[in-house]
Amino acid sequence: MQRVGTTAVSRVPVMTRLGLDSRLIFMVLAIAAIWIVFHLLTNGIFLTSRNLWNLSVQTASVGVMVSGMVLIIVMRNIDLSIGSILGFTGMAMAVINSRIFPDDTWWGAALTLLLGLALGALVGVIQGTWIARLGVPSFIVTLGGLLIFRGGAWLLTSGQTVAPLSDSFQILGGGLNGSIGGPWSWTVGLVLMAVILVSDLRTFQQRAKRGLPNRSVLVQAGFTGAMLLLVLGFVLVMNGYADPRSGLPRGIPVPVLVMLAVTAIMMWVVRATRFGRYVFAYGGNPEAARLAGINTTRLTIMVFGLMGLLAALAGAIQTARLNAGTNSTGTLAELSVIAAAVIGGASLSGGSGSIPGAFLGAVLMASLINGMLLLDLPSAWQNVVQGLVLMLAVTLDVVVQKRRVK
Amino acid sequence: MTLTRQQGAAGHGNLSTPLIETRGIFKSFGGIHALEDVAVQLMPGEVLALLGHNGAGKSTLIKMLSGAYTPDAGQVLMNGQEVQLSSPRAAQLLGIETIYQNLALADNLDVAANIFLGRELLRGGVLDEDTMELEARKVLDRLKVNLPDLRKPVFNLSGGQRQCIAISRAIYFKARVLIMDEPTAALGPQETAQVNELIQSLKQEGVGIFLISHDMHDVFDLADRVTVMKNGRVVGSSPTSDITQDEVLEMIIAGKLPRGQAASS
Amino acid sequence: MKRLGTLMTALLGFSLLTAPAFAQKPVVVGVSWSNFQEERWKTDEAAIKTQLAKLGATYISADAQSSNEKQLSDIESLVTRGATVLIVLAQDSSAVLPAISKAKAEGIPVISYDRLIEDPWAFYISFDNKEVGRLQARMILNAKPRGNYVFVKGSPTDPNAALLYAGQLEVLATAIKSGAIKNVGNQFTEGWQPEIAQRNMEQFLTANQNKIDAVVASNDGTAGGAVAALAGVGMAGKVPVSGQDADKAALNRIAKGLQTGTVWKDSRTLGTEAAKIAVQLAKGTKVAAVPGSSVFSGGPRKVKVSSLLLKPVVITKANLGTLITAKWATKAEICAGVSGALAPAACK
Repeated sequence: MQRVGTTAVSRVPVMTRLGLDSRLIFMVLAIAAIWIVFHLLTNGIFLTSRNLWNLSVQTASVGVMVSGMVLIIVMRNIDLSIGSILGFTGMAMAVINSRIFPDDTWWGAALTLLLGLALGALVGVIQGTWIARLGVPSFIVTLGGLLIFRGGAWLLTSGQTVAPLSDSFQILGGGLNGSIGGPWSWTVGLVLMAVILVSDLRTFQQRAKRGLPNRSVLVQAGFTGAMLLLVLGFVLVMNGYADPRSGLPRGIPVPVLVMLAVTAIMMWVVRATRFGRYVFAYGGNPEAARLAGINTTRLTIMVFGLMGLLAALAGAIQTARLNAGTNSTGTLAELSVIAAAVIGGASLSGGSGSIPGAFLGAVLMASLINGMLLLDLPSAWQNVVQGLVLMLAVTLDVVVQKRRVK
Repeated sequence: MTLTRQQGAAGHGNLSTPLIETRGIFKSFGGIHALEDVAVQLMPGEVLALLGHNGAGKSTLIKMLSGAYTPDAGQVLMNGQEVQLSSPRAAQLLGIETIYQNLALADNLDVAANIFLGRELLRGGVLDEDTMELEARKVLDRLKVNLPDLRKPVFNLSGGQRQCIAISRAIYFKARVLIMDEPTAALGPQETAQVNELIQSLKQEGVGIFLISHDMHDVFDLADRVTVMKNGRVVGSSPTSDITQDEVLEMIIAGKLPRGQAASS
Repeated sequence: MKRLGTLMTALLGFSLLTAPAFAQKPVVVGVSWSNFQEERWKTDEAAIKTQLAKLGATYISADAQSSNEKQLSDIESLVTRGATVLIVLAQDSSAVLPAISKAKAEGIPVISYDRLIEDPWAFYISFDNKEVGRLQARMILNAKPRGNYVFVKGSPTDPNAALLYAGQLEVLATAIKSGAIKNVGNQFTEGWQPEIAQRNMEQFLTANQNKIDAVVASNDGTAGGAVAALAGVGMAGKVPVSGQDADKAALNRIAKGLQTGTVWKDSRTLGTEAAKIAVQLAKGTKVAAVPGSSVFSGGPRKVKVSSLLLKPVVITKANLGTLITAKWATKAEICAGVSGALAPAACK
């Protein structure tokens, strides 16, 4: 038994030896390549503060939902209803905001958001209960949900568009008043940098002290340094786009702040909580999870509830951004979200998926659309390119997996 | 659950009371009787081999003992007190640990996560990864298992390594009753020897072990007693010292006690 | 041939002889709806019923619930129930043809309502979609005779979207040729989704460094998306935007000066006209002889049918009041949040 641990050591890829995730690095490189190509093709428009600011807002809605979808897919489920839940809750919030709180108050906007989020979570919990307790496949239940809530979005106002919304609520959409300005952006950026620095340092020290394996100091320093530069660059770019009225920096748009917060929280949930651990355990081996005493029914319900909540949050962003509730909002959004999750490494056979990967998947897809629109490519071509990228990403994955198994 | 772990421990060491005992257990699935009037006993520090063909009821019995199935009728007693094994968690809290034949590991999780699955160590409500890694390292060292990286998913580990993870889980949580379903089926000779050694040392500590195995040599090497099942019923039990391998085989095949043997327990 | 013609005339003469007795019988108008679940048809139905009541005719109806098969049996049952004329809102313009042939065999006139049925027996009544496109372009051209134009088109899968764009280009052709107007971007809007129109508009603005002088949007939903994008760069209200449908949200934008105008297709006019024509046809008027009718052959198979294509109405800040008078929208809906000197007459 002493010599048991031999097979796994040989032929370790470079990235793994450095303690980095090869997929994430690859995705960052792919995004960088796409950005550079578009920058050249658009004669220097793509990589301007203004366009990257746009891009970040355009990513927000999918970016908010994709982390929830990762958990759903990891648990060997699928949620086809999120586009419709987005539309339904968005419409509900538009109605609440314009009919119940017609005056522009911050608490009116906050209550609108809270009620919308509660509705989304409730809808998700109902679907999750249906799936977990009655044993109906999630594909079917959420396909039903797709139809039901799209219909519901229509029925709320008999198809009428509801507009305008209060100025306070519109802040969520990242419009003219929907970003936090230069000073606050710097505050957020510096706090974030401090948190990264301190937590990386502490983790490294603690592991070293307790004799646990660490990355080499150089790699860790390089990694932490790259993260700090990323945050710095992000704040600089967001502050590089000026408000047309005052000429002052716009700073980070509120929906982008929401998206980044959701992504960070979800990464933490997956890494540091039992809930996140159990989601992955269930995905890896449902029977093992059950035998380990994990309440898998409750787990499924919670994951779908969370997904509903995030879809409602995306609904709030989308509705606030458009400054109108329309019954078609979010149509086919489920496909963009599933595509982003899959490009980011979620496997439909369950058990694997990554929140940062899915986030990068969302950025990648949004970058493609953004760039193709700058080039004024017909929408038919946009669809073709998106489809090809999705297939290419997954094919690459399958090939890599096969090589790893050998 | 009517019994906490501490209460159960009070009866430990009383050699006349079985550590765990089932009485008149019935279980059927859709009209098919998987268990009929099953009574087994396990004394502290005893290794009891459960034998029988596939479908004889061994798997159903151990799933019941580990809380995965609830019996239709009958009692389970630990140290003479009735207990309810209503869920895997309930069984774990009573000190019953199970090592399944299919190992029940989540392939995508790392070694430490698998050992602590369902019973993670927390600090401030948050997973304490470092402590879990250290504790996992300790228990694996105790088993003399050498795994270089405990933060790697278990999917590319060998059968033996995976088996060790499953066993260390049981050891870490201080099993009082250990159920081992074909523990050496996936192992090479050296690893098998290691597991057998481990069983001996657990025995010394007073752990009761249910051993399910097809390997008659293992059974006679390790077990103190054999219980043979067929068609959901207990055919009979006998100390390994009082019976030959051929007689056991006859019990398994014929489903009745060999001539001259009286039902012992 | 001549023989046959004479025979026909004789037959017609015979039927005309019996006509007085026929006319005594009340006119029963059978309406076959494709899918009554859709909100808009309730407005149409109300208009048809009101007009028929005025003319002393009876209204019966059936709902095919989006099923081609059900529509065929619906039409048969309407005839059985005594319909003397049919108004058909086709679920599928080809699949419904057998029912039209049957009606023809029984001499029952048919009106194809809103959606074209390519059979000369059926009288086609609808709004002129190409004209809607022309009106949109004209509205924008009046506001901004020269500069950079972008086109926010409708869904790529909706044939109407192409008709609208064709109408728009028709009006702008000379200005584009002379260079007064530059087409700096045109994108379909998948599913007519406002949020997609918004994203597309953001990219038009970025690609042209905000140098966009006019937006030809194909309906009010996409116009809403375009206005939201303009608002994001502080240009809302400074760039003309067209629309269609007279959505309440759009009427409010027009009152606020954020959208130039919209094209209104009053479905009540459509219903009223259809009811009038139905009664005429039931009383023996031939399709070609309906007052105001013309020949339409713009369908996919270029079949010539008699038709009445209603003229849509352009709504701008100046005539918002007509919609209040017509009870299409209330003053409160149109004028919400509108005040001050710039408010349109309708809101004062």
